This record gives sequence, structure tokens and C-alpha cells, in this order.
Amino acid sequence: MSDTKTSEMRFLPIIGLCLLFPLLRMFGGEMATGTPFTALESAFLIPLIPMVIFPVIAILGQMNHGDEAWRERFKEGGMIALCTLAISLSLTIWLAIEFFTKGSSFEDPLRASVFNWINFETITQDAAGNWIHLKSDSLGVGLWIDNVSMMLLFVASFLCFLICWFSLGYMNTDPVNKDRNHRFYAEFVLFTAGMLGMVLADSFLWLFIFWEIMGLCSYLLIGFYYERPSAAYAAKKAFLTTRVGDVFLLIGLLMLYDIYGSLEFAVIFGDPSLHGTVDVNMLRWALIMLFIGAVGKSAQFPLHVWLPDAMEGPTPVSALIHAATMVNAGLYLVARFVPFFDVTGHGHGVEGLGDVAILIAWIGGITAFMAALIAFVQNDIKKVLAYSTMSQLAYIFTGLGVALWFYNHGEHHAAVIAFGASMFHLFNHAMAKGMLFMASGSVIHEMHHAHHGSHDEMDPQDMRNMGGLAGKLPITSTAMAIGSASIIGIPLIGGFWSKEGIVAETWNAAALHGGTWLLVPAFLILLTAGMTGFYMTRMWMMTFAGKPKTVYADKVHEHTPWIPTPLITLSVISLLGGFALAVLGATHWLGEAEAFGTAIHEHGLVFAILDTIVHAFLPTDMFLFLITWVAISISLVVGPAMAMRIHGGRLKSGESAPRLISWILPLSSKFGRTQVDDLANSGLADALHRRLYFDELYDWAIGKTVIPLAYALSWFDKNVIDGAIKGIEWGSQKISGDVRKLTTGRPSDYIMMAVIGTFSILILLWGVI
Amino acid sequence: MFGNPLTILTLGPILAGFAFMLVAWAAPPSKRKEISQYIRLLIFAFSLLLLSLSTLMFLESYSGISWTSLALNEYVYDNCANAEIAIEAGGCSLVDGFGVSWHVGVDGLSFPMVWLTTLLIPISMLVEWNAKKGAQFHSLILMMEGALIGVFVSLDLFVFYTFWELTLIPMFFLILLWGGENRKYAAQKFFIYTFTASVLMLLGILVMYYFTRVPVWDGNLTGRAFDITLMASSSNTLGSAFLGGFGMQKAVFLLLLVGFAAKMPSVPVHTWLPDAHVQAPTAGSMLLAGVMLKMGAYGFLRIAVELLPGAMVHYQLLLIVLGMISLVYGAMVCLGQTNLKRMVAYSSVSHMGLIFIGIATMQPLGIAGAIFMMLAHGIISPYLFAVCGAFKHHYHTLEIGSMRGIAKFSPWLGGHMMAAWMGSLGLPLMAGFVAEVAIMIAFWMAFGWWVILPALTLIITAAYYLWSMQRTIFEGGDEGQLPDSLHGDEPVDVSWHENAGMFILAVFAIVLGVLPFIFFDMMSSYSNEFVTEVLLDVLNEVMP
Repeated sequence: MSDTKTSEMRFLPIIGLCLLFPLLRMFGGEMATGTPFTALESAFLIPLIPMVIFPVIAILGQMNHGDEAWRERFKEGGMIALCTLAISLSLTIWLAIEFFTKGSSFEDPLRASVFNWINFETITQDAAGNWIHLKSDSLGVGLWIDNVSMMLLFVASFLCFLICWFSLGYMNTDPVNKDRNHRFYAEFVLFTAGMLGMVLADSFLWLFIFWEIMGLCSYLLIGFYYERPSAAYAAKKAFLTTRVGDVFLLIGLLMLYDIYGSLEFAVIFGDPSLHGTVDVNMLRWALIMLFIGAVGKSAQFPLHVWLPDAMEGPTPVSALIHAATMVNAGLYLVARFVPFFDVTGHGHGVEGLGDVAILIAWIGGITAFMAALIAFVQNDIKKVLAYSTMSQLAYIFTGLGVALWFYNHGEHHAAVIAFGASMFHLFNHAMAKGMLFMASGSVIHEMHHAHHGSHDEMDPQDMRNMGGLAGKLPITSTAMAIGSASIIGIPLIGGFWSKEGIVAETWNAAALHGGTWLLVPAFLILLTAGMTGFYMTRMWMMTFAGKPKTVYADKVHEHTPWIPTPLITLSVISLLGGFALAVLGATHWLGEAEAFGTAIHEHGLVFAILDTIVHAFLPTDMFLFLITWVAISISLVVGPAMAMRIHGGRLKSGESAPRLISWILPLSSKFGRTQVDDLANSGLADALHRRLYFDELYDWAIGKTVIPLAYALSWFDKNVIDGAIKGIEWGSQKISGDVRKLTTGRPSDYIMMAVIGTFSILILLWGVI
Repeated sequence: MFGNPLTILTLGPILAGFAFMLVAWAAPPSKRKEISQYIRLLIFAFSLLLLSLSTLMFLESYSGISWTSLALNEYVYDNCANAEIAIEAGGCSLVDGFGVSWHVGVDGLSFPMVWLTTLLIPISMLVEWNAKKGAQFHSLILMMEGALIGVFVSLDLFVFYTFWELTLIPMFFLILLWGGENRKYAAQKFFIYTFTASVLMLLGILVMYYFTRVPVWDGNLTGRAFDITLMASSSNTLGSAFLGGFGMQKAVFLLLLVGFAAKMPSVPVHTWLPDAHVQAPTAGSMLLAGVMLKMGAYGFLRIAVELLPGAMVHYQLLLIVLGMISLVYGAMVCLGQTNLKRMVAYSSVSHMGLIFIGIATMQPLGIAGAIFMMLAHGIISPYLFAVCGAFKHHYHTLEIGSMRGIAKFSPWLGGHMMAAWMGSLGLPLMAGFVAEVAIMIAFWMAFGWWVILPALTLIITAAYYLWSMQRTIFEGGDEGQLPDSLHGDEPVDVSWHENAGMFILAVFAIVLGVLPFIFFDMMSSYSNEFVTEVLLDVLNEVMP
């Protein structure tokens, strides 16, 4: 451990210096223009610096391959990456300070234009059918920072920084990665650039551009262990599946451009109804197209198949890209739909888009349920988390769908709460799930380490090989418990505050505001709340409770540097952050830009806390009261208790869990035991193991149609099209052979031909002239 | 006449190439190797000189040219501006009797191609720095540069056609003398195929020549001229009457289309391309894909579209169908290829389809996107072929699937393959994406939901590129799997000069993807001038 500390401490001053980057930038502005640069003027650097550092790390790493100093001092590029992310984080915080001091919000976002990407002109047909010049236009690059993007910007840069920190421990101490970590860090910073750029973009076009950059990094990082066929396959699958969504997103952009003549938020959000003249049908299709893109990126049904396989990537990648940031891109895109739907008098939305909102909620509900169901039978710790991610993202989609539905039905207050709760859940989920993946990484890392050197086959990710780790991995097990509690929605912890909001508002819309079509998603996500309690508890119990199931699990201990710090940081945020932000009014701030802490300011802290609790637990409406308590009881009691009956148990004698969670283990053995072997061998379990056959269906469809068609066409090209050319070739050779026979060698024949030739030329000339 | 920088760019490399070739040929055998080294350096320096010349021509701060404010039919570095008067005065006439003149000039359509050519020549030399018989090889490439630039700058159809055919000769020899196992067949096929198509184009050009009436000047026996600017003015003033009626216009358009489509190439006249590419040496492939294919697209725009807009509007559907088939069919055929270079060659067919589609949208944006596609593809496809060349050179095979895990043995090669492949599948922030977005926006405005077809092609494109990477540089386990063609030799990474050449291409692909306006704006202004000055009238009046 002492070694650990020095290793981290040695680098702390450098990271600290990087955090002071904004001062340098202000000073630079002072030197250059006489006035210090503002945070907004520096915001373009947030994605730009990582983007520029990407080739630096990649090339330096390749050139210093195997060099000792590069490995130790630079951590194979890890230190450069961490410093870069520290700079981005510091700029983000600086921007946040400016954002709050200026009082910016949805109506008054921080905006800056950077340059015109392309300039061009368009023509069109006027009413009379004449073609006329339409306009000169340009696609520009700029920044747009309102509440949602500010929140997401912070989440992204903060988590990127922490997960990079974690990676220094996780990646660099694993001999498998030796001498190729530079690739990891290079792609990591490129990903950061993509994510931060997407959040900052001021137009749908640049949102899409950075969206694709993230897709590339996801592909590269899933395939980090490219020599494994499964990783190479998973990477390809992830890219192609999201590409299907992206293509529809692109079509959506084309439609938006056609409708609005621009892709910039400022223009489109200015008046999405175009003074009421917009073609609703066209807009509806455009939004559906955009939504398909979001479905692909956020791994929702039916384009969800790539996410579980994406766990082939190193665990920090799963934590960052496939849990905390990139998969939120789809949510962010859907959150940008609000102005189209808002007919509550606060915006200029378009009426009649309720069906799109219902579609979004349905996809969310189906995915939430389906993913939770599949998570029941997963034995790979990362796969459980992957399905959990899918399920929780689906919650947010449902919440957003409900929010959009409310917006489109003129219910401003309910819409704001639903929207704010969804965005708040995004925050809570990102923090908790990022941490859960890091904690699972810690488990895997230590399992792997314990197994290192032995000759047996053992999958360090399989929970059936674990068990009883709570005493051996105190920090990890505590972090995992807190993260799971946040995801389950245990009252007062993290995700509870937002998840209750989503469930309650969905039922509110479905049952109290006549949204009959929303009943199905409402039922599904209520059910999923209990299922979440089950599979998260099951995961924790299988990993940490009971007796060790293998000899390796018995040898595990926590010792890797760099890993605990981010876990502790995020544990604190998950444990207390949700409550603190709820009291501060995060939901309202995210929903309608009511200033932070209004309630505290007006009524004092104690009142604000009480008010928040009362709102959450004792809604005035009896129906919502019932729903709230059903949700709490099934997620807090029913789900976990069932999981404990199957997988719970005390630790090996002589070991004790850390104090914060030590009460769980004795409790878990009190519920008795259930044997589930019959169920585990049933057809349903088999179907779930095979992921409800989606992968097989898609593989079959591609393998039986596209690939054979491709081979058939290439045969056709070679033999029919080129064959025709070859036929001409052969024919002309034959003709020339025949013509050659005309050279008989007799003078009389030649004179004859000369005469014919002369006549023909004369006739031709006569004809032409 | 000969002080014009465009003349220097055209004739300079041809003459220099001849001179270097002669020196290399005449060198005494004992010193041949040494002299060859020097010649190679000199040729490279000369090509860099030409690159700096074209770059200076481009920089507004240096040349003072505002590229975005050129009117239609206004060319810069025009040695014969106001051709009617100038030719009569004998300023730029080559053959008085037939109205052939040395008329050069560039605008927003042709200049990017000229610059691209001057860029690609030194890079392709760099990539094949150690070619056998280097002096001759590099002199041929230099001659090629002159011929290619000649195609792009000449504003006289006779000279245009001359250069057009002239480009075949160095390429023919590059394939024949430096090509792969089946080079004889490929060289002949390449030559005869494209030559045949060009003859049809020549027929079209002659008909246009026949119908171009110009004021007779002293010494002009035919009363006609090959000058494009003169043809353009008569086509503008006479409207559909040009070429003696709309029927004739359409016939000429079709003749030209065959010639240009074969060069681009478009389905169904594309089969020369895979054979030529697979057999050609790396530098030859790079120039073939990078510049020669663009000749087809350029000629189509400059001659067929600009001079016969009525026929273009009439055949809009044909263009769309040709483009669509090339795009979709080309991509599907790519998916079925087992040879890396063949796959890349077919991907060119697929991408060139987008050019037809962009033009057929008749939107300034779509046409500008098509022109940008020429530039973007001109940078990315040489990159692709450089990667293929490296495979051929270091692993002696191009069979996809005969090797696994190459990224382990050749990390630089793996990285370049990733970058090039991504660029070609239309990754944002690389040049190809700009063209795709521009064309697709315009496509939606023109044809609506048909956009599904090009959009689905984007998925197929991603599929074949990713699949080919999976089966070459990825997989293979901890040991990897080397191809049999290596015969157990130690695998090596790309050499420094290949690496340098590919890096430059990567940088330009990214710079043009991030800051596309550098070239896009001049293309946009050209296409806008053409559409607003000519096409709108044609759409509204000439066409019923």
C-alpha cells in the first residue's frame, strides 16, 4: 500500500498544475488582447485539446515502444491523458462558474460561433412551379450551453477524468496490456473529445459528427484486444449496429434541414412550428428518424444487441463509454426534442406529436423490462451491469417520452418534473454505473491477479467463481453496495430521487391525464423496479456474500494503486449527491431552469429538506402515493429479498465486511433459501441465456441474405458484366483474324479494295459537306 | 503564352520527365545506379516545386485571386481571356486552320483537381521511393503529372482530348513494366477499354466542334473552333438551338457520357478498373484512383453538363439510375471480394456513383458536394491503395483472410489501415463525410425518400470495410497468423517513406474534413454560378 501512495502522490502536483490551466488561459488573453479570455471564449478548447492530444499519445507511444521511461514516468501515455482530461475538467468547471454567475438557462444559453464549416446555395421550386434561387446558407460550428448540456458536460469531463485515473491502476498493472496502453489512452482521449464536443455542439450536424467520433472510439476500444476473435467480432457488431441507427439519424438531419433550412439549435428552437406552418407529418417522421439513431446509440430494443458484447473491451471502457457517457448520447438527443413538443405556452412547439412521445416511452418500457429479464440469468459480472445499463437508460427514455407527451398536451408542470427527473436520473445513473463498472473492474482485476500463474482455466469475470469477497475487498464491496443501492433506488440514495419521479410521472400521465397508451410502459417500468432490486442484489450477493466458491476467490486482496480513489469519490457522490441535489432542486433546474436552491433561499435548509422528503414519500394525490409505495416496497423489499433467498449467506468465519455494509450479510441469510435449479434449467432460462434469440435472428438474416447476395453479385460482375467485355474482346480477335484473310497478296484484290475505299470516303464527304 | 504558370505545370513535367528519362537511359551502365539515385531526388524536388507553385497560386494572400467570386466561364490564369479576340489576334492559336488553340485557365472546378494532382505526385513517388529502375519509374510519373494537369487546365477540346489520351501512355507503361503477375493482360485491357470509350467521346466532341460557329478569322479554314469558352457562349446564346436541335444535343450528351462514365468508372463500364488496379504498382494505383478517375467526373461536368445543360436535365433520371446502381451494386460487390485491392477498387466505383447522384440533384449544394467528393476521394483512395501496396510489398499477398492479427506485427500499417478505411467509409471529420453530407442533403431536397438507398449503402460500406479489417489486421490469437506467401520470413512494418507518404495523406484527409471550406467554398461558388446562370433558365424555359 505504501508503494501505492507514493506512486499516486508523485503525480499529484502535475495534475494539480493542469487544473490551473484556466489561469494560464486568462493570462494568455490578457497578453494577447488586453482583456482576459472568458470561459466561453475558451470552451472550444474543451474538446479541442483532447482531440489534438490523441495523435500525440498514439505516435509517441508507437515511437517509444517498450521504453522504460515511457512506461514508468508517462505510464505509457496515461499521464499525458490524465493531464489532458484535467485541463478539460478545469475548463468545464470554469465554464460552469461562468454559466451560474451569468444566470444562463434554456432561454438564454451561453453561445459562441466558431467558424463556417461549408458555405453553399440551394434552389427550389416556387408555388408556380418555377425554379428559383432559394438562399445562400452555411453549416457552421459553434457552442451551445444550456442547463442540460452543462450538466452532461460536467458529468462527461468529470467521469472521463476519474475513469482515466482508475485506468492508470487497472490497465498499467496488468501484464496483458504491457506496451500497448498508449493505444488505449490515445483512443480514450479521442473519445473524450467526441463526447465533450457532442455536448457542446450548437447544431444537430455537429452533434452527429461527434456522435460518430464516439462510435469510432467505441469500436476501437471494444476491439482493444483485437487478437481475440470475440473482441474483433464484438467491435464490428457494435459499430455496424449503431451505424444502422446513425444512418437513420442522418436521414432525420436531412429532413430537419429541409423543414427548417438549418440544423442549428438557435434557428430550430427559435420557432419549431415555423409560425404554425410546419408540416406535422414530415416533422413526425424526422423525429422518428432521429429517435432511431438514439435507439442505436443507447442500445435500446431492437438495436440493443451490441451492448452486451461490447463488454469485450477493457473494463474502464465499459465504465466510461458503455455505461456513463456515450450511451447517454441518445438520451441527450431525445432531450433536445423538447422545443418541438412544447405547446405549453413557454415554447412554440407543434401539436399532434403525442404519438412520437408514446413511441419513445414504449421503446423505453419494453427495453427496461426485457433487459432486466435477461439480467436475471447472467453470470458474467460485467454482463449483468451491461443489461442493467440498458434497462436504466430505458427508464430515462420512458421518462423523456412521458415528458414530451406532457409537453405536447400542454401540461407544463408535469412535463418539467418528468423531464427534470429523467435528466437527473441520467446524472445519478452515470455516476453510479460508472462506479459500479470500476468496482467490477477492481473485482476482476484482483481475481485475475489471484489466478495469475496457475494453469487452470478460470474466468475472472464469472460470478460463479467468486463469493465471499466482501471482507477481502472492503472498498470495492462498499462501493458496489452503494452503487447498487443507487441503481435499485433504495430510498434516500442517489437514483431513488430520480427514479421515483419517472415512475410517478409515467403513472400520472397514464392514469390521471388520459394517456391510455402509456399504461403499458408504466406497468413495465414499475415491474422493472422490482426486477432491478432482484438482479442487482443477486449480483452483489453472488460476488461478495457467502463462502468463496473457488480457491482463487479465497486469495484475493485489494492492493492495486490508483483504483480506490475514484471509487471512494463516486461512492460519496452516489450516496449523498442525489439527496443533496434533490434538496437543491436539481429536478426543477434541469427541467425549467429554476435557479438552484430556490427553496433553501426562500424557506431555509430544514424546510427544503423536509419538503423534498415529503414530496417524494407523501404525494398529495392518493393514487401517486400508492404507486410510490408500491415501487418502493417491490424494489426495496421484494426484489432484494428474493435474491437473498437464492444467493445470500454469511462470510467465511473469521472474516468481516466493512462496517458500512456489515449488516447486509447476516440479514441476507435470514430469508431462508430457495432452490432454483428447476427454474434455471427451464426453457425460459435458456431463452434468456440466448438473449431472447435476437442475435441469432439478426445473424441469420445477414448470413442468409446479404452475404450470399454479395457473393452472387461479385460472381455476376466477374462472369456476366466482365464476361460480356471479354466476349467482345474474343469476338474482335476473331473478326480481325477473318479480316487478316483478306490480305490475299494478289494485286487485283488490293486495287479492288482501294477503289471501294475511295468511293466510300467520297460518299461520306459528300454527305457531310 | 508560355509564361503562364498553368503552362509550366503542364508542359514542365512532361519535358522534364522526358529529359530525365533520356539521361537515365543514356547513362553509362557502370554509373547507372548512382545517377539513378540523383535523378530520383531531382524528380522529387521538381515535383515539390510544382506543388509549391500550385499552392502559391491557391493562396489568396499571394496570388490575389478571390476564388469564390469567379463568374461562370471566367477563368484565372487564363492566357486567352476573351477568346474570340485573342485567338484572332493569334495570341494563343496553335493550329489556325482548325481553330485549335493553347487555351488554359482554371476555376473553382478545375483548380482543386490541379492542386490535388500536384500533391499526389510527390506522395506517390515517396510511397514507391525504392521502386525498381527508380529513375524511369519516377520520370514516367512526372510525365503523367503533366498530362493529368493538361486535362484539367486546357480549355480547348482538341488539346483536352490530346492530354486525355496522353495520360494513358505513362499509365500503360507503369502497369506493363512494374505491374503484378498478370500485368500484360491488365495493361492491354486498361488501354483498349478506356481508349475505345474515349473514341466515342471524341465523336461527341467532333460533333460539338462541327456545330460551333465562330466569327471567321484569317486562316481559320473551317470557321469553327475547339475552344470551350466559345462553345459555352454559343450554347448560352442559342439555347436549345445549339447543336442544331435538342435531339442532336441529347445524342452528343450520350456519346460524351459513355466516354466519361467509362473513365469514372460507372457500372456497367467499370470492369477495367479492378483488373488495372490489382496489377498496377502502388504509385500507379494511387494516381489511377486519385486523379485519373476524376478526369471522367471533371470532363463530364466541364463538357457534358456545362455545355449541354438541357440534355443533362433531360437525362437526369438516367444519371440517377447509373449513380444509384454504381453506388449500391458497387458496395455489394465489395462485400463479396476476397482480394483487398479489388475490394478497394470496387469501393471507388461505389463512391464515384455518388458523383453522378450529386450532379443529378441539380442543386448547387449537390454539385458542389460532387466536386468535393472528387477531391476527398482523390485524397482518401490513394491512401487506401498505399495501404494495399504496403500489404503487397511486405506480406506479398492481398488475400483477405489469408492472415490474421497483422496489427500485432505491423502496428503502423494497422493504424494506417484503420485511418484510411475509416476515411473511406465516411467518418466525420474526414474529407469524405463532407461530400456525403452535402450530396445527401441535396438529394433529400430533390428526391426525398429515395435517400434510403444511398443511406443503406453507408451501412454496407461500413460492413465491408470493417469485415475486411477483422479478417486481416485483427483476430489471430496471441500468436497471430502470417500469410503463407511470407514463407516463414520475419514480418516487417511499413518503411519510413511509405509511412511518411501515408501520414501526409491522413493529415490532408483530416484537414479537409475539419476545415472543408478551404476548397468547398470555391466549388460552391462555381456550382452556384452554373446553376443560377444556366441551369435555372434551362429548367424553367428550355425544358417544357
